[in-house]
Amino acid sequence: MNFSRWKSALASPAGRAFLALLLVLAAGAIFNADGAFFKIGTHRDTLRQASVYGMLACGMTLVIVSGGIDLAVGSLVALAAVCAAKMAIHWNWPWWQVVPACLAVGALCGTVSGWVTASLRVQPFIATLSMMVLARGLAKYASGGMKVSTAVQNADGTYRYVEVPALFRAIDHRVLAGNLSVVTVIFLVCVALAWLALSRHRWGRYLYAIGGNEEAARLSGVPVVGAKICAYAASGLFAAVAGLCQAAQEQQGDPEAGSGYELTAIAMVVIGGTSLMGGRGGIGLTLLGVLTIGYLDKILSINAVPEAGRLVLTGIIIVAAVLTQRRGRT
Amino acid sequence: MRATFFSLLAGVALVAAGFGQSNVAAQTRSYTIGMSQCNLGEPWRVQMNADIRAAAAQHPELKVVFNDAQNDTLKQRAQVEEFVSAKVDLLIISPKEAQPLTEPVARAFEAGIPVIVLDRAVLGDKFTCFIGADNKKIGKAAGQWIAQKLGGKGKVVELKGLMTSIPGQDRHSGFRDGIAGTDIEVIFEADMKWLEPDARKEMESALSRFDHIDLVYAHNDPGAHGAYLAAKAAGRDGILFVGIDALPQEGIAYVRQGILDATFRYPTGGAEAIDTALKIFKGETVPKKIVLGTRLFDKSNVATGGQALP
Repeated sequence: MNFSRWKSALASPAGRAFLALLLVLAAGAIFNADGAFFKIGTHRDTLRQASVYGMLACGMTLVIVSGGIDLAVGSLVALAAVCAAKMAIHWNWPWWQVVPACLAVGALCGTVSGWVTASLRVQPFIATLSMMVLARGLAKYASGGMKVSTAVQNADGTYRYVEVPALFRAIDHRVLAGNLSVVTVIFLVCVALAWLALSRHRWGRYLYAIGGNEEAARLSGVPVVGAKICAYAASGLFAAVAGLCQAAQEQQGDPEAGSGYELTAIAMVVIGGTSLMGGRGGIGLTLLGVLTIGYLDKILSINAVPEAGRLVLTGIIIVAAVLTQRRGRT
Repeated sequence: MRATFFSLLAGVALVAAGFGQSNVAAQTRSYTIGMSQCNLGEPWRVQMNADIRAAAAQHPELKVVFNDAQNDTLKQRAQVEEFVSAKVDLLIISPKEAQPLTEPVARAFEAGIPVIVLDRAVLGDKFTCFIGADNKKIGKAAGQWIAQKLGGKGKVVELKGLMTSIPGQDRHSGFRDGIAGTDIEVIFEADMKWLEPDARKEMESALSRFDHIDLVYAHNDPGAHGAYLAAKAAGRDGILFVGIDALPQEGIAYVRQGILDATFRYPTGGAEAIDTALKIFKGETVPKKIVLGTRLFDKSNVATGGQALP
């Protein structure tokens, strides 16, 4: 391979996102915390920890490609987690009722955000900010402000303890001889679905067209309103999947769960090279962004870097990665 | 003319009715207590309100009005001012921050309203009574229990709350005091920001770095629970887990379920606040500062309500 081919590979967003990931992995190999970085378990844990954020990033990519933003996903994680815990622990519903009901809640909230922004023409930032507050409120309302856990309060104020639901155990499980978490498998399924929608389906083309130039898309017959509503609904759906996984891993529904997750998801999308202006990017790039931030987080953690240092380093690295992406385009 | 007459009559009737009511009220003196909570987003503070509500329910003459400042200092300031203009008989406040709430609390106090400050202090001395727990003491009690449990030596992971917060700093330094002079070694410490998913993440890192861990000390029970889930998923047995707070639906439940080996109560002071309020209403003098003790809950005593520690 000659030099110019290297150069052109690096000029593409994918090449640059891949370079960022390689640099982070190299840092991990150097700061390996007495060899902890080379253990299989470390990588399995990294992927598990990045999975919930990654699911949010999948939905976020669809919305961002269409030129929007979805700030509600973190709150929807909490709402879905509380609903899942209520249904599975308190009401003893079987998994085939809990999962669709949970996903429906997420998709419904997403549809409302999409309808407000696409049909009522409220800016996506404001529409989803409202949904972020609303969904957090609903999560607190449904849970009474307390975590919904296996300690169930009786009418007389005493507690009884119930088993962790089989659904939660199944999600917080491992496959491949304990080397791959089920949540990571679920994340990869989300990636595949989002990729199919964005790259192989007409709807995906519509989203790119809307994100590139909404007016031009409308004039060329793209069903702008419908396509946009679907993007937010899908984002809500992925957030509900993430919430279900969050509840399963915590064995409870925490109404405070997921706060700030939307920002991590946005950072993952942007580090991958998807433009916040819309019309450019893709799920493959987001996958690279998810891995970059996931590994960065893990490397800081195994080295037990104090919180202040972590925040500073993470901030610097996100800016650096985004700057490289921008230079890649000019 | 006629209309005016009737409206006058109606007015007189209303005033009379009003007098009638105030007469009835005077016979059975009732007290209104304003409770300003800084943030109901925290389960521990939800518990504090529940404790106050339960204690006040024993006394039908007490009526407690709850307000949640939603973690906003200025909102809490406004709430205190509203309670003062509503002329409540007593104010209980669990302030978000000392400095910005000192003045509103002082103004309420100077307006003749007794003020009980709960959990976090305000500056100066313009309040009636402060009730709070001592995180340093609780951390030290946990450290001493751990030193005893491990026989004076072992490898411990410390999952810290938030080292930029006073409770986090105190639970850390108290713990270090408690294990001082023993051969207990803290091999891994990390900030988990009081959050369960973060605690699980940090514990996974500790597990992949160290093949032998004797005990995990987490600054709150959800943190210890997250660490337990991480160890269990990794198939690592023989690790003890110790947390702090001992809320009925969290720490106590975890000890009962055999997840945690011990938890130390961080008391809300809700019941004590109502006790103190009743004393104030009766005209008794109350101490300026009440420091609450902690309670240890472990397998042996969780069914009988724990063991009080000085």
